[in-house]
Amino acid sequence: MKGWLIAHGHACKRALRRLALQPTVTLLSVLVIGIAITLPLGLYVAFANVSAAASRIKTEPNVNVYLALIVTEQETKELERKLKSLSNVDRVTFVSRETALAEMKRVASMGDLLASLETNPLPHAFSIRPKASDPATLEILRAEIAILPKVENIAMDFEWAQKLNRFSTFAERIVLLLGLLLAAAVVFVTGNTIRLQILTQKDEIEVSQLIGATRRFIRRPFLYFGATQGLLAGLVAVLAVMIFIWWAGAEVHALTVSYGSDFSLQAPTLQQSLVVILLSGLLGWLGAFLSVWMYLRRVSIR
Amino acid sequence: MISFSNTVKRYPNGFEALRGVSLSIEKGEIVALTGHSGAGKSTLLRLAAGIELASQGSVLVNNQNVSQLKEAGLAVMRRSLGLVFQDHKLLFDRNVFENVALPLSIAAFSHIETGKRVRAALDKVGLLNREKADPITLSGGEQQRLCIARAIVNRPATLIADEPTGNLDPEYAETIIDLFKSFNQVGVTVLLATHDEIGLARLSCRRITLDHGKLAA
Repeated sequence: MKGWLIAHGHACKRALRRLALQPTVTLLSVLVIGIAITLPLGLYVAFANVSAAASRIKTEPNVNVYLALIVTEQETKELERKLKSLSNVDRVTFVSRETALAEMKRVASMGDLLASLETNPLPHAFSIRPKASDPATLEILRAEIAILPKVENIAMDFEWAQKLNRFSTFAERIVLLLGLLLAAAVVFVTGNTIRLQILTQKDEIEVSQLIGATRRFIRRPFLYFGATQGLLAGLVAVLAVMIFIWWAGAEVHALTVSYGSDFSLQAPTLQQSLVVILLSGLLGWLGAFLSVWMYLRRVSIR
Repeated sequence: MISFSNTVKRYPNGFEALRGVSLSIEKGEIVALTGHSGAGKSTLLRLAAGIELASQGSVLVNNQNVSQLKEAGLAVMRRSLGLVFQDHKLLFDRNVFENVALPLSIAAFSHIETGKRVRAALDKVGLLNREKADPITLSGGEQQRLCIARAIVNRPATLIADEPTGNLDPEYAETIIDLFKSFNQVGVTVLLATHDEIGLARLSCRRITLDHGKLAA
């Protein structure tokens, strides 16, 4: 146990000394890897923000049926009965033109506009909750409703919200794909810096092996080197994203406030940041491991 | 301690450096390995040190068949040996002290113990006052002694040396030979390849002579 600690202490010290010996090279590698991680992390944060915004929008399927302006109460009752009898209709809610107007007046920016009107321009409407919401079934429902008397207009305005939802699933996959590609890039970049390290220490590795160093011993400082580089790069990526959010966040908030929303950009949480930094360290470790493994496999007698 | 039985070493290009060698070196013995250049002396030493593996036959070191050792086993076996190389194999990016400390770092010795042992080894070869020097500034004889210090710092039971007096002036060579004799006197098994007649005379020990990869009659 004591020997193990000493061995790791030695290896860690050597790795850090190697990093410190070439500050420029170290800085450049850390920045390259950091940028590679910033891309998927930044996209992830961006899409997380878009999804958060999208989840505030009602995406429950809802069909609005607007009636003609001039209808009798009898015709309205008749229509409600017919709508309820349709097979794909779950619930029907009547929204009178007075309720609609009152609701509209509550939206601040509309108040002035509506006050200037002499009569209520809004028709009666029915809000329908369909049983099935796949596009084909809804299209049938629309056709069924369209032929009913006194129906003026049918709006299925949840469609775009559904599209947005589907888009964010798509975006998640893009982020995942990009993340995987750039994770591989991090492994290769680290692998390459380690390969250069190995070349400058060929003699040391050779002599060490001749006098009884195990592969594990040879590998250890390189693993610390790769992991440290990865951790630093992860830190760079997290900081870069934080700085961007801080820089752009105020603008975004001001913009959304002007649209009557209190939406603001969310930075990655502490937990997410730690996961990214650790993951980056792990990738650096992996790159170093592969690089040393390939080298030792070539030079070993076994 | 070290025994070869019917050992053949064939290189990938087909050259047979050893063609069926059987010999045995006992614990505490000092043995000189001689023969013309290309007779297989270095190959025999490399097999004994587990740096290369036999193509046929076996090599036993401390009753372990070297060919059957796994990677980690080989490494541990090499630590029980002290190797002195013909070309020294010193590391020129670190000072004398750090060169000698390398085997101890591999064996995970503590800082204090490392300091003690390195200085004891340097004292033995007469380089104690040069511990901060760069190896490149040392003379050929001093570099050879530095290599010997690194070989003995781990207090191995066996020393294997390939032409340790190779390119040295006769008086330097004598001090090196005397060093090996002194190690043998405290119980270290020594296997030493040389074609230097003066050194051999001074060693006055058992000789094994190789001729074209076989033991000379």
